[in-house]
Amino acid sequence: MPLLGDEYAGAVRWPRLWQDVAIVAWPSFLVAAVATMICFAFIDPLLVGHDDFPPPAFATRMSGYAIGFFFFWLISALSSLLTLYLARTARPETPEKETQGDWTRSVP
Amino acid sequence: MSSPEAIPDGELYAARQKIYPREIEGRFQRLRNLAVWVLLGIYYGLPWIRWDDRQAVLFDLPARKFHIFGLTLWPQDFYFLTWLLIIAALSLFFFTALAGRVFCGYACPQTVWTESFIWIERWFEGNRSQQMKLAKAPWSAEKVLRKGGKQVAWVLFALWTGYTFVGYFTPIAELGAKILQFSTGPWETFWVLFYGGATYVNAGFMREQVCKYMCPYARFQSAMFDRDTLIVTYDETRGEPRGARKKNVDPKSKGLGDCVDCTMCVQVCPTGIDIRKGLQYECIACAACIDACDEVMEKVGYPKGLIRYDTQHGLEGKAKRIVRPRTLVYATLLAVLVAGFGVTLANRSVVDVDVIRDRNALFRERPDGRIENVYNVKILNKDREAHDFRITASGLPGVEVDYAGPTVRVEPGAVQGVPVRIRVPRAEIKGGADLVIAIEAADLPGLGASGQARFIAPTD
Repeated sequence: MPLLGDEYAGAVRWPRLWQDVAIVAWPSFLVAAVATMICFAFIDPLLVGHDDFPPPAFATRMSGYAIGFFFFWLISALSSLLTLYLARTARPETPEKETQGDWTRSVP
Repeated sequence: MSSPEAIPDGELYAARQKIYPREIEGRFQRLRNLAVWVLLGIYYGLPWIRWDDRQAVLFDLPARKFHIFGLTLWPQDFYFLTWLLIIAALSLFFFTALAGRVFCGYACPQTVWTESFIWIERWFEGNRSQQMKLAKAPWSAEKVLRKGGKQVAWVLFALWTGYTFVGYFTPIAELGAKILQFSTGPWETFWVLFYGGATYVNAGFMREQVCKYMCPYARFQSAMFDRDTLIVTYDETRGEPRGARKKNVDPKSKGLGDCVDCTMCVQVCPTGIDIRKGLQYECIACAACIDACDEVMEKVGYPKGLIRYDTQHGLEGKAKRIVRPRTLVYATLLAVLVAGFGVTLANRSVVDVDVIRDRNALFRERPDGRIENVYNVKILNKDREAHDFRITASGLPGVEVDYAGPTVRVEPGAVQGVPVRIRVPRAEIKGGADLVIAIEAADLPGLGASGQARFIAPTD
């Protein structure tokens, strides 16, 4: 019977940079999607800046939705990035432990 | 390649190595395959269904209308969407408490698309050992063909996925025609590529890493778990101590448990964990290891279920409880929300009115001694038939309404602005007062709506 040999990749981790990009980009993407839905349920992009001095902000509704979405994504990504930075650069309260897998045994 | 145990201290972050899940057959795998076919079938098929000469499900963003079969939702109906999201979240809690991560294993888009991408991969590159052999082999014409073919199929499948996604927001048949003529709008092109690209990267490359690093649900689901939650679990008392043995040898005489340590459960795992180490947050409860272990147990003639769906209480030999405070609370909340949603949706008013004051003049004094205010009354007909509306005003003594009547026709799904003059005798009002402007369908009494407006008069 083959034992776990070289070919077993196992639960290995991503490089830190990939993790950082993922945990900044993904949650902010989710939040931006929700924010876009809520925002444009109440605001018609065609009426933003309409018949006032700044000319209409968006040429079409679709461009309004898309630009709005990326605006929200950018803003929430900045927030995620700051949070990540603060969390990563904080002095640990207890010596860092290997936590991977510990969760398993702590299920009630 | 190295296992995580081999990573020296201080270097916690090894480069990710590709996991080659072994193909597996069994009852749970059949169930998962069925789920993939059904869910992807719905996703790819739904935009092509017609209803009343239009696409049955169309989230028409440019027109700000959502069509869902016979139902048309307007931005004013936004709270239904919020409501639906709350129901979805609560359902997730409920099913998690009841049956663990069934969503992850069977229904999550990440799982479903990864599964279909793995099928394509197997179609071109063969089974697990053939794939690993191919990866190690030097580049040859065959390798280029196999790897290239897989990539082409992946890209085409991903593009079709992106096209279908945009097809939910803009009529899919017209979109298809535009794509064939290379005349799609910039945003349509962008979203097809964006969603297609996301599918390709997520299902082709990131796969289980999404569950491990990016999924919030994977982390907080433990809060919904208790000792009666169904989990995929290895029966440690029965299996240990594990070890290889010869056929027809009584394991007890050798001091062995039922686990023959064949590592099939590890090889089939799409997230590359060893379920025998206990429940881990990487486990998406796909039950591939159950199928694998059952097959092996059958071969060696041991009872099935060394790895199985069970609860902590079940493992400890205690009674299983499905009905418990946690599930009761979730179920009650869910029932109330779903019932409320249905009732509200059924009773939703299909007309709406919005009253806007004329901006040009506050008021006008008429020669007959009455004060006149002008409004723009916007009537919104969300129904699928045209209606003729009467406009009335109330709330002030002697109030009179003047508009191009007696009724105003509003086409289905249209907004009609009606200039309305409202006159009140001068003696009856000073300064300003609120009044109510109401609409009612002349052809369907009882169908109506009302809105408040401010009536302004001289202060002296």
